[in-house]
Amino acid sequence: MNTKLNRRDFVSKSIWGATASMTLPGFLQQTLFNLDARAQSLPSQGGEGPIILLMEMAGGNDTLNTLIPYTNSIYRGARPTIRLGTEHNILQITDKDGPSVTGSNEPLALHPNLSNFKQMWDNGELGIINGVGYPNPNLSHFKSFDYWHSAEPNGMPKDGWIGRYLDNQCDGCGATTGIYINRRPTFAFKSDATSSPTVTFQSPQFFNWRDQQGLGRERSLEGLYRNLIGLDHGADDGISGYDDTLAYVQRSAHSAMISTESVQHAMDRGGELLNPSWPNNGLANSLKTIAQLINGQSETSVYYARQGGYDTHNNQILTGDPLTGRHSDLMQTLNGALGAFVDEMKAQGNWERVVILTFSEFGRKVIENGSLGTDHGAAETLFVMGGRVAGNQYYGLYPDLAADARVSRNSMDFNVDFRTVYRSILEKWMGVPASAMPAIFPSPPVDFTPLDIINPI
Amino acid sequence: MLDPLPQESWSRRTATHLLQRAGFGGTPEEQEAFYQLGKEQGIEAAVDSLLEASEDWSSLSWPEWMQSEVDPNGETYANQGIRRRDFIQWYFKVLMQGQPLAAKLLKFFIDHFAVDSATVGQYFRWIGMFRYTEMLRKHAAGNVAGEDAPFEGDERLVPPGHYGNFKTLVNHVSWSLGMIRTLDLAQSRRGNVNENFGRELLELFAMGIGSEYSDDPEYTEEDVAVVADAFTGRKYYGFRYFPDENRYNNPAGDQNPPLPPASVYQLRGQQDRSTKGPFYGYTKTPNGNPIINGDDVIDIIFDTDRCAKHLSWKLWRYFASPNPSKELVQALAYKFRDEHDYEIRPFLRDLFLSEEFYEDSVVSTQIKDAGDYFVCLAKQLGVPLPTRDAMEDVMQQLGYEVIFPPSIAGWPEPDGPGNTWLATGAMVFRMNMPSIFTHHNYAVFTSGRTRNSMDEFPEADWNVIAPIELRRKEQFPLLLEQLKKRFMPSRELRKSQVRTLFDHYSSVSEELGELEGVRELVRLILALPEYQTQ
Repeated sequence: MNTKLNRRDFVSKSIWGATASMTLPGFLQQTLFNLDARAQSLPSQGGEGPIILLMEMAGGNDTLNTLIPYTNSIYRGARPTIRLGTEHNILQITDKDGPSVTGSNEPLALHPNLSNFKQMWDNGELGIINGVGYPNPNLSHFKSFDYWHSAEPNGMPKDGWIGRYLDNQCDGCGATTGIYINRRPTFAFKSDATSSPTVTFQSPQFFNWRDQQGLGRERSLEGLYRNLIGLDHGADDGISGYDDTLAYVQRSAHSAMISTESVQHAMDRGGELLNPSWPNNGLANSLKTIAQLINGQSETSVYYARQGGYDTHNNQILTGDPLTGRHSDLMQTLNGALGAFVDEMKAQGNWERVVILTFSEFGRKVIENGSLGTDHGAAETLFVMGGRVAGNQYYGLYPDLAADARVSRNSMDFNVDFRTVYRSILEKWMGVPASAMPAIFPSPPVDFTPLDIINPI
Repeated sequence: MLDPLPQESWSRRTATHLLQRAGFGGTPEEQEAFYQLGKEQGIEAAVDSLLEASEDWSSLSWPEWMQSEVDPNGETYANQGIRRRDFIQWYFKVLMQGQPLAAKLLKFFIDHFAVDSATVGQYFRWIGMFRYTEMLRKHAAGNVAGEDAPFEGDERLVPPGHYGNFKTLVNHVSWSLGMIRTLDLAQSRRGNVNENFGRELLELFAMGIGSEYSDDPEYTEEDVAVVADAFTGRKYYGFRYFPDENRYNNPAGDQNPPLPPASVYQLRGQQDRSTKGPFYGYTKTPNGNPIINGDDVIDIIFDTDRCAKHLSWKLWRYFASPNPSKELVQALAYKFRDEHDYEIRPFLRDLFLSEEFYEDSVVSTQIKDAGDYFVCLAKQLGVPLPTRDAMEDVMQQLGYEVIFPPSIAGWPEPDGPGNTWLATGAMVFRMNMPSIFTHHNYAVFTSGRTRNSMDEFPEADWNVIAPIELRRKEQFPLLLEQLKKRFMPSRELRKSQVRTLFDHYSSVSEELGELEGVRELVRLILALPEYQTQ
């Protein structure tokens, strides 16, 4: 008995069989069409369009010590032990001062460990967006991340902004249109639709069906699984019509079955990476997987990676040496991993296809907290990078650090709404028409004018 | 609301549901016995049998290296990996062998009061970690005879209370090395407040935020500051730096007892005598005392509607279903706070007896979290835990690394559709994983590592799982029925699935014998999406 069907068999036996398709419920047709039929058409359409890489810095990045207003007396006074200055080899941005809310320009410097960021700035590949946040900031990690992921601050989010983007703009997309390298899914991918063309996995080598090794048999587990979860049955879709929980798991199994094939195909095709020197850490490994998928022409528009550890309430620096400590280590890891990724993209010839956006759920307070750290704050600085990014430019204004300008007990106030940043990337980079924005951003900010963060061709 | 389930509604379905949610299910024989108990002696008797505190503390002792007060490796960070794996092994042993409801509650606490790897490191901190988990375990088990006292440290500092009470539990957590380290309390000093603990006490441990289950006012940023300020000066003692005896509060006057290793204490002078607040509109504690320290704040927190609702909501979500109505949460909160004064087991008794717990929107609508998934699987197969090394890899793949929570909010809750346990990668692993047990196929979860060898791992007792007399092809319907009762008692299989399973069972049995057929069959059943729900 051959349980492994080839594609022709599959197509004829599933939704394309006339009898079957007439008896299938509509939602299932859509599900299977979206997930399977298109996935199976890989890679002919994959590997050419623009790509977003969302770089999540989880925990609340202290952007005041990332992009440092090193001459600002309020900054220096508020952080007597953890401030960074010229004596710490900060990477001064000498060609341009940052426009500030106060009206005067702010001399700025990157953290000493962000050498690759500095290089990209100098090359015109890195843009800096200051003062990003939202009204009535929430200082809870979880609430604030819900807001950033859903793009619905101060609401009761039900789905994610990427989920809505794909629902709206991506009818019939492949199962791996969004890929998150992590063990747990992100709310940003959550979709209202019955199935979302996104997947989340940590390690591609385990994202596979393991056959019955050592038993001396040739049967494919994958074929059996396909059959049991209803992917290959004309008359039995395998999705419960009355039990939502079960239907959810059944769809997850379908998605798993289909996307493993796409991912393995792209990984095989991606082959060896061209940049021989990658750091060895979790973030670098995630970005390596992404680089390999891009090289393998995965039909993926949105990649998502995460670096945790930014909740630096303590030991942000170590006593006596501001270049040691948790924040410094994080900066080094981020800089090394992103630098290797960018080199890889350039070697692949894909750097012009990629826009990277870093973000965190909030910045941290202006004043230090006495544990050589900082507590939760509000507005933050984002970085946007890519071969086509309008770099070497500031967007937004550096916040006013003065005590009377602060919000939420010593936090910086925002002047660019993060939804505007999201919109800018979708509109200016992914080519989403302005008319689609109300559906993707049901609660837009007051000023929703997109930023010109992409160079015209 | 919350009326008891009428006796005539007791059925095999309700019995299985209760066994599953209040524990980790049961073998077909246990399911039947439990159903008969409720039928013959009444539902209350059945529920009470689950609540009996019968923890066998002696059989679950700490690893040997933990028995000493001195680091056998000389106060180094050596053997972190071994210690970590020993800890994970111990934790899962407790889940597997402990009284089921206690194990289920411990799993809830490990998630609700998640501590991360910042807690561990030097030897004394491992002691603190084990003590912390043991404390959670005692609260999960309910009153522990002869041990109705606080723990690890200067017990006179901790307000009176006893195990099995949520308010006492929060107090104990606030005085534990685990949480003092994880949320930076040790570094929060008067005048230099670190607000990490204060914020999460309110948001995660007690009051919650948002209007999903409560329309009560939210606490403010100013409230966070008051709480953080009230908790300054809590420290822990390691080996090397014995605290200056003048620096910690010693209510016993000049008879300073030496602190045991890894104990916590209050820094003298840090806990000032000035009145704080107002907090959440309160200017005094419910007993009319001024608000001076963290214990006073906890007194106020547990007086609020928001706290009673938050904890009731969270427990309902864990044991029952993800979206209880506000009315139901209100009714639960009234029971929890006003009737039971935050006693956990009496509250759960009401919950397990209630009609609402057996509604269609509750039964079979949970996706197993990683702990449920793993423990149920091992219990249903009647196999022991894999080696500690293999355990660590398995739990990593399942996304449940006990001292590496994804965030300080712990792991995702078992909340039905949209469930965040089922990342695509985790789904793939869950479908692959059963072959570890059925076929000793550890290639499923290793990448060339040899430490996970399952060579010594015992076979499941296939004669119990699939009696020999049912293995002939002609008996297939009976065999399948037997397996279904064991592995997914509340689920039906579709015809097409039965057909596929039969075809495969027949062909493997013919080719390699009936035992191989059984292994194949079990593995495939365990890989079905239907197996992921409970």
